[in-house]
Amino acid sequence: MSEGGTARPVRPRPRLRTFGITAGLLAFTGFAAREVEFAVSTFWEAWNNPLWEKFWPVPWDWVLDRSNVLDPLVETFQIAILATIVGCGLALPISFAMSRLTAPNRPTYLVSRSVMNVVRAVPDLFWAKLLVTAVGIGAFAGTWALSVFSLAVMVKLFSETVDNADPRPLEAARATGSRHLPAIRTGVLPTVLPEYVAYALYVFELNIRASIVLGLVGAGGIGRVLEAQRQFFRFDRVLGMLIIVFVVVFVIEQVSVAIRKRLV
Amino acid sequence: MTATHTPSTVSRPSPPSGVRRRRALLALALVIGGVWSVTGIDVTLERFLGAPGDAWDIFKRLWPPAMDEALDRGVVGKVFESVYIAWIGTIIGAVLSLPLAFLAATNVAPRWIRVPVRQLFNAIRAVPELIVAVIFIPITGLGPWAGTLAIGLHSVGTLGKWATEAIEGVDTGPLEAVEATGGRWVSGMRWGILPQIMPIVASFWLFRFEINVRASAVLGMIGAGGVGAELVSQLMFRNFSAVGAVLGITVLVVLTIDTMSAAVRRRIIAGVTRTGGPDDGDRNAEALADLTGFRR
Repeated sequence: MSEGGTARPVRPRPRLRTFGITAGLLAFTGFAAREVEFAVSTFWEAWNNPLWEKFWPVPWDWVLDRSNVLDPLVETFQIAILATIVGCGLALPISFAMSRLTAPNRPTYLVSRSVMNVVRAVPDLFWAKLLVTAVGIGAFAGTWALSVFSLAVMVKLFSETVDNADPRPLEAARATGSRHLPAIRTGVLPTVLPEYVAYALYVFELNIRASIVLGLVGAGGIGRVLEAQRQFFRFDRVLGMLIIVFVVVFVIEQVSVAIRKRLV
Repeated sequence: MTATHTPSTVSRPSPPSGVRRRRALLALALVIGGVWSVTGIDVTLERFLGAPGDAWDIFKRLWPPAMDEALDRGVVGKVFESVYIAWIGTIIGAVLSLPLAFLAATNVAPRWIRVPVRQLFNAIRAVPELIVAVIFIPITGLGPWAGTLAIGLHSVGTLGKWATEAIEGVDTGPLEAVEATGGRWVSGMRWGILPQIMPIVASFWLFRFEINVRASAVLGMIGAGGVGAELVSQLMFRNFSAVGAVLGITVLVVLTIDTMSAAVRRRIIAGVTRTGGPDDGDRNAEALADLTGFRR
């Protein structure tokens, strides 16, 4: 076993259970691969697909025409702005209800927490589709869907911040005999406000991105144009639109990131 | 106030100057932004106030969910198809991103390769899965394979970024030891770095799998396989109790997978000192963003 003085440690033998788990995962992977029609050949066959030619050349005069891309893009941003305002506004009181530190009582804490968990478990575009059915096709439904989701994201992020807030100012406020809301207002809110603003800006960035795909399910904005052109197989226009969209999104994000860096 | 020991009115600090002005500016920006957006979306007050009622009417009709009908139509199978898509997509993403991450890390890769690989990660993260799927569907045809590819390629962006950050946080001692024995670059990566990052990287993969389950459910809505198509068609027929069943099953499976995966992740990470990796708060935010389909 040992050579040259120092013994090389023996490699631990894998346990039977490890084999079992590995075999199980491999079997699951194999089964899943068959179910999704896994085909490695796509990776190289895709390059020879004649359809790629439909992506080129980009019709710039169509793309840069105001009513084709720019106006829906502006609508997209309006959806994102409104959803951020509504979602983040509602998130402020709900986050306080959802944090152990500031919840008015245990039932409120439990109910708000479990409702928000379920809301988050439903994928965002499912919400969009439901609301499109409820209030009709268009930007209005998109705004609602995005508001619900900004609310869910914001509440999750911000309630964690509130959880970690310094409890001492709150105790001090309570010691003066303050009622619940004023105590939170003076004891907790000032310490978490900068992070609230930073998260709100962050949610705004997310909303800008998310609003682009909303239109694919009929919830308004640039995605609607994208979907229409896709159905006409005008992939050159799709590509041109995507280029414009990502340039604009990139610029907005850089501005927002710069502001967030200064805030926190 | 003549009493000497009641300085409450005197000693209260005044707020720093400029705060008010900044607050006013912020409020003004919000109001202007809000008003401008409202005019663009053409929403009347009546419609705005009516919307929660309309939405509630629909939500009421989701109950009771038509479980029998959903089971007959094989909704459970569709949900599992979404899970398969997410699983294979995550594996594709993991396999593609791990080698790339070594080429993007500051401490192990030369500058000329690092910069383009990092930009590649950023570019990939910028394009939502749905858009990738829109591009892939004409190439691969409708079906789960388009969704799998979209998820796999999109995952490369975040997985690559996270793995890169994990590599940048390693202890360089083992790497130096390998170099001292004359090992080549690849050996250094394999024996000096990979064992250190594997636990955290594996937990990132699992985490991404949780995110991908939600993403693949959505992909079905544009025909890329999975449960989304079922939701769309039931909504089209306004068969709301079936919609309720589809939503219920989806939420149940999503939450079950989240819980299982989180338990496994905790076991993987427990006992491992954090190897740097992304800042926790920031990663939570980003992860959550991914979780919900909203991407940075």
